[in-house]
Amino acid sequence: MDHTQDLELFPGRRVTQMLFKEVKNATELRQSAVDGQISGALINPTMLVDPLQVLVAANKAVHLQTIGKMKTRSLYSEIIFNLSPTNNISEAFKRFGISDGDESVMVVVVHKKDEVQLLSDITARVDGRQVPVEDVSSLSDPAKIKKLYKIAPQEEKCGNLLDAVVCRMATKDVM
Amino acid sequence: MAALDFLKTAELLKQGAEARVYRAEFLGKPTIVKERFPKRYRHPTLDEKLTHRRTTQEVRSILRCRRAGIRAPVVYFVDYTSHCIFLEEIVGSSTVRDHIASSQQSDSGTEQNLQQLAERVGQILAKMHDEDVIHGDLTTSNMLLRRSQKDGESELVLIDFGLSYISALPEDKGVDLYVLEKAFLSTHPNTEELFEKLLKSYAASSKKSSAVIKKLDEVRLRGRKRSMVG
Repeated sequence: MDHTQDLELFPGRRVTQMLFKEVKNATELRQSAVDGQISGALINPTMLVDPLQVLVAANKAVHLQTIGKMKTRSLYSEIIFNLSPTNNISEAFKRFGISDGDESVMVVVVHKKDEVQLLSDITARVDGRQVPVEDVSSLSDPAKIKKLYKIAPQEEKCGNLLDAVVCRMATKDVM
Repeated sequence: MAALDFLKTAELLKQGAEARVYRAEFLGKPTIVKERFPKRYRHPTLDEKLTHRRTTQEVRSILRCRRAGIRAPVVYFVDYTSHCIFLEEIVGSSTVRDHIASSQQSDSGTEQNLQQLAERVGQILAKMHDEDVIHGDLTTSNMLLRRSQKDGESELVLIDFGLSYISALPEDKGVDLYVLEKAFLSTHPNTEELFEKLLKSYAASSKKSSAVIKKLDEVRLRGRKRSMVG
């Protein structure tokens, strides 16, 4: 169900993604996240194409945290910010973070190998049904994603939507 | 540093004057890592500025090409502290250079294939130059042919944007083509006609080609070992 990937550049650390549907307490979750109560990033799955998208954002966030150059205040807000094609932090939260009343949530946790307790703590707080992370493609809204990332039809000739999104995320700072 | 430690476990593919190229698995994907290592013969401040600039230019050119529909590797991550670019590895591909070489050797109805290939290369370069992207190192080793996942047709992918930059000048585009011409004709003997086909295709596909071809002719006259008499 969960999707876990080691961060090759940061030995010992890994990223776990957990996807939930039929979430009933999005409002409460969002508030807890804002209060810094949750050790995870709560992401709006309709903006996600594939787990790789999250991994790219998380890897960049951990890198910037390691060198002390994050643009936001915490690792988890940095992951959300990295997903966004713009440099406006509040806009990133609005679009990629969860909103009150959302029915699905992607939870992303960066942790060490043996910190599984962290994961079950967070899972316990979500009032929803956990589904395989791969299901996220069924929740994606390609039209919304293409519009937000400004992906023109001609770009789809050189790859799929995930490629276009990941490339923009990785090169945001120099474009 | 994280990236440099990681590279100790990666497979070194090539070492050039400018950068080292590695292969590794990154975030579960086969990845090429291009490391622009520090040049100790340069003044450190200058080295940092130059290296940083080249890294950003490479990354910008790739994105610009992709936005125009030109296939280039996806950029996964850029580490500006160690100047490493983590790119998609184009698996299941061969260079155009190898393709032409083996086609010439086998001679089984390949005349048409090569002609078609030359046409496609001309088209893709026209598109690139129309986007004002100068590749900077056009050779047949920097063009890959890959079986498409979508329809089984072969796709042309451009790689190694390490010397690329943005420019609208016909002079720069002309020089870009000149570099390719030199590389093409020296690598593949008896291909003058094939390259002509490529240029014709370029001229037909690009909106701004006449100025560029004119410059190419001028540059040819200017080239090395040319008599500047008259």
